[in-house]
Order: sequence, then C-alpha cells, then structure tokens
Amino acid sequence: MSDMALSTPRPAPKRRSHGSKRTLRIVQVVCVLIIALVMISPLFMLLVASLKDDRFQILADMGSFKAFWVSDPTLNNFVEVGGMSGDLAFGRYLMNSLIILFVTVSSGLVINSMAGFVLAWGRVPGKVVILALVIALYVIPQESIIMPLLIMVSRAGMTDTFTAQILPWVASPLYIFLFYQFFAQLPKELYEAAEMDGASPFRIYRSIFMPLSLPAMATTSILMGIESWNQYLWPVLVTQTAYARPIAVAIGTFFGQDSIFWDRAMAASVLMMLPILAFYIVFQRWFVSSFIGTAVKG
Amino acid sequence: MTSTPQVRKPRSGRPAAKGRVAQELAMIAPALILMSLFLILPFLLSFWTSMTNQPLVPRPTPVRFLGFGNYIRILSDDLFWTAMWNVTRFSFWILPVQCGLAFLTALLLHQKLPLQNLLRGLFFLPAITSMVVVCVIWGTLFQYPTGPFNQVLGWVSGGRLGPIDWLGDPEWAMFSLVMLSAWQAYGFQMVIYLAGLQGIPEELYDASRIDGASRWRRFWHVTMPGLRPTHVFVLLITTIQAFKLYTQVAILTQGGPSNSTETVVHYMVRSGFEEQKLGLASAVSVILFLIVLVIALTQRQLLRRFDV
Repeated sequence: MSDMALSTPRPAPKRRSHGSKRTLRIVQVVCVLIIALVMISPLFMLLVASLKDDRFQILADMGSFKAFWVSDPTLNNFVEVGGMSGDLAFGRYLMNSLIILFVTVSSGLVINSMAGFVLAWGRVPGKVVILALVIALYVIPQESIIMPLLIMVSRAGMTDTFTAQILPWVASPLYIFLFYQFFAQLPKELYEAAEMDGASPFRIYRSIFMPLSLPAMATTSILMGIESWNQYLWPVLVTQTAYARPIAVAIGTFFGQDSIFWDRAMAASVLMMLPILAFYIVFQRWFVSSFIGTAVKG
Repeated sequence: MTSTPQVRKPRSGRPAAKGRVAQELAMIAPALILMSLFLILPFLLSFWTSMTNQPLVPRPTPVRFLGFGNYIRILSDDLFWTAMWNVTRFSFWILPVQCGLAFLTALLLHQKLPLQNLLRGLFFLPAITSMVVVCVIWGTLFQYPTGPFNQVLGWVSGGRLGPIDWLGDPEWAMFSLVMLSAWQAYGFQMVIYLAGLQGIPEELYDASRIDGASRWRRFWHVTMPGLRPTHVFVLLITTIQAFKLYTQVAILTQGGPSNSTETVVHYMVRSGFEEQKLGLASAVSVILFLIVLVIALTQRQLLRRFDV
C-alpha cells in the first residue's frame, strides 16, 4: 500500500514497471500462501478429524481430500474426552496443565524480571559475578539435571504434586538474561532521575521499568508458556496418578496403548492445542518483533 | 518522564545506600535461591551420584562409591554407542532439512508482503504445537500400509514404490522422526533467520544495487556474509536439540525398531527410571552435559572468529 502512495508522483514509464512488479508481488504472495497452507495442513487435518465420529472412517478418509472435509461435524469426541473424572478425564488434565502454566509464567515473570532489573541497575556487590554465573548456567540442559532432581523430589516426598512441576522451572537463566538485556539498554537518565526523587529500587522497578518492559514480558510469556505447556519428560517422571498429571503426559500414555482410538486422541490433541493457540494469538502482536530483537543475542 | 531539575539531596548518604542494597538483594534473592536449589544443586549432585550406585527408591544397604565404574560401564555398552550414533545421524539429517526450511521461509517472508503478520503467524504455528500433538498427527500420517504418506507415495510413483513402514522399519524410522521434528521446530529457526535478515543494513543493498549487482550476486555477497553469525547460531542450537532428542522417540518408537531410534536421553531415562539405576543415569547426564558444553564452546569460538 505504502509503495503505491510513494510511486504516484513518478513519471509514466516507471509506473509501468511498477505494474509488472505488482504482478510479481501477487505471484509471490500466492506462492507463500500455498506453502503456508501446505505447512499447516496437518493441523487443519487434526481439527477436521476431531470432528468425525467414526474412528475407522477417520483412517479411511486419510490420504484423500476427505481428510480436509467433514460432512456432519459432531462434538461427540470432545464430550467423551472432556470429562473431569474417569478414564478419559482430559478435561481434568487440561485444567492441571493450565494451573501449571499460569503459576509458572506469572511467578516466572516477576522473579526473573526483578533479577534482571537488579543485574542491570542495582548496586549489589558481586553483580558481575552473578551475571557471569547466570550466563554460564544457561548452558546446562534440563535433561542433564533431571535425574538428581528426581532423587531430590522423591526424597522430599514431592512426587505427584503441582509444586514439583512448577517450582524447579520458575527461575531461569535465559529469562533473567533476557530481562537484563532489555533493562540495560534503557537510558540511564530514567533510573537516575527516579533515584534522585528518592524512589526506592523496588519502586523504580515497579512503577517505571516494569511497565516499560511489556515487549520483553510478552516474549518471555510466550517462550515460558510454550516451554511449560510442552513439558513432557519431567512430568512423566514425577506424576504417577491423575491428580497433577498434565495433558501432554495423558495424551502420550493414551496414545501409547495398543489399540489406538484415533478419534479420542485427535479430540484430546485439539483440546491441548486450543489454549496455547489463544495464548499465542493474544501475544503474537508483540512476539515476532520483540523475539526478533532478542533472539540472536539470547 | 517528568524529571525535576532541582536536585533533591539524598538524606544521609551511607545508610540510604545500605537500605537500597538490602532491597535489591531481596529482589534478586528469589531467583538466586530457586536457581541454587533446582539448578546448581542438582547439577553438582549429578557428578556425585554418577560415581555411586544410588538407586531411585532408598534401600537398606548403604550407597556405595564406585569411582568411574558407571562411566566405564556406559562407555563399554554397545547400546550407548548405538544411541550416540543415532543422535549423530539424526543431527546430520535434520540440519539441512530443518535449517533449510527455516532459511527458505525466512527469505520468502523477509519481503514487504501484504498479510505479512498473518503469514508469519501461520508459518510459526507448528512451533507452538506440542510435540505430543505432533506425534498424534504424524502418527496418522505415517500409518502402515494405508496412511496418507503411503497413499501419496503410491499415487506419485504409479504404485511402483511400495508402502513404507515409516516407523516400523529400522531403515526408515529415524528418517521419519527427522521429518516430523523438522516440521515441528523450523518456526523458531525461521524467526531467528528473520532477525538476522533484519540486521543486515539496508545501505549495503543500496550500494550493491548502484554498483549494478544482480539479485543473485546481492544474495551471495551481501545476504550470505551478513548472515554468517546467524548460520552458526542456528546450526549449533539445532545440533544441541538433536542431542537432546527424546519425546518423539518415547511416544512413537520407544527406541525401536531394533534400537534404530535409541537416543542418549532415552537411554538415560531407561536406566534411571525404568531400571531404577540413578547413578548410572546421572553418569549419562554428565556425559550429555559435556557434549552440550563442547557444542556451546564451539559456537562461541566460531562467533568470535567472525568477530561479532
């Protein structure tokens, strides 16, 4: 659109070349759109299949265009797997996952951003050492601390709790560093002026720096949210009963059984997809641009 | 900001500064305590447990110190080396597929296109899809012998290429996991490439355009050199991811058929959780950490060479 506005005052011959450029652009958009549709077609197929009642029909329809069309959509599968108790209590597992997601992300935002703020602007002795430690800790993969962590949790009698699934992943070197980077690039005057007005560090954080960090908050929310939602290995190890079992583990176990009820597995998968999709759509506006800002350095 | 020019003197200097530091300590303490408890402590513990015969459930017999016994046992276990070979194979296949896909889509999306945000959002959708859901979807696509992939294969080849048992054939199982993993994760690499492309100064393109460089030459002489650090970053995080391969394997193949998809993390979970030998599993986790550390240090070295 802005291209057109720019080119209007130009002389005629230029405009003709602009016209052919426009066709090229349309072709490009169509190509990109087609590739995008191919890439997301498996997701669309999942949605369609979850609306079909007959699990044998679902398999029979795969591999033809029927996989993308449902003639009489029904929510039966969802009713069947949406329960809060019983064998297929995916409603309950979904709730568990949502509780874990909400508590992890909200406490993670506060704790990591406060730490990042202090590392960027505070006068704590040994700040540089702490920062170096945070960066060094980032290298340790979750997979390589999970076994000792399992001993700790089982000795503390915390297996099968929400706490065991939330507490270890709240503070994270990656997000502390992300916030540190974001806060450190804000102008010095901002901090100094507030300090001169006699504001305490927490006050400065709470009423000036935190409100300014919305883009970093959005990025962290999305990354942390995806991470928490997709946890699989750790909850497999620490949940034995349905009490705190998240939906990822429930689907994984259900799917691992011999006779696969595709219809129910599909419906449960759609259930699992919906919240993170909503979450993503809400934050997407900030996400791509702010993630672009932090990705390479992070 | 309504910053007042009048300088208000901080009441007595010292005690106020002390109070500030105390408050700052209180602000950073939750993060430090949590990280010490759940990251540093288990990390240090893993070195200790890896030298013992620590079981998962406490036993009356005391825990014995084994020295490097667990490490020797692992390094002389054929299954461990199969797992190492498998993740290496996996990373060699996934690098071109996943990074290529990510680079291509990033190049396509890095132009001023209408619906740009919508398109970016669509391309990123697989990346927000949980691996468990991805396994359910691709599990149907891989169905043998009448799943969609086999139908398309038969249709394209005119029935000459027989149905492939994607997940059940040792020759194909790892390759199938590569395809689904690349599909799930390319979105993140795409966003990183988009960031890299945005970081190349527009003036470089303008200058080369004035010099009459063709599109192709601009790509090779401006875009590619500008993306060097991004390439290094993307290649190395993809390699690290490959070495941590687990969820897909646990859900779809359990390391089979005939160990063709056994991975390091799957090996670790099997010995620690199923066989309850936590000492042994901790030794695997230390080895995994060392591998990741080497890859990360390589990345730092390479990036320094391109002086970024």
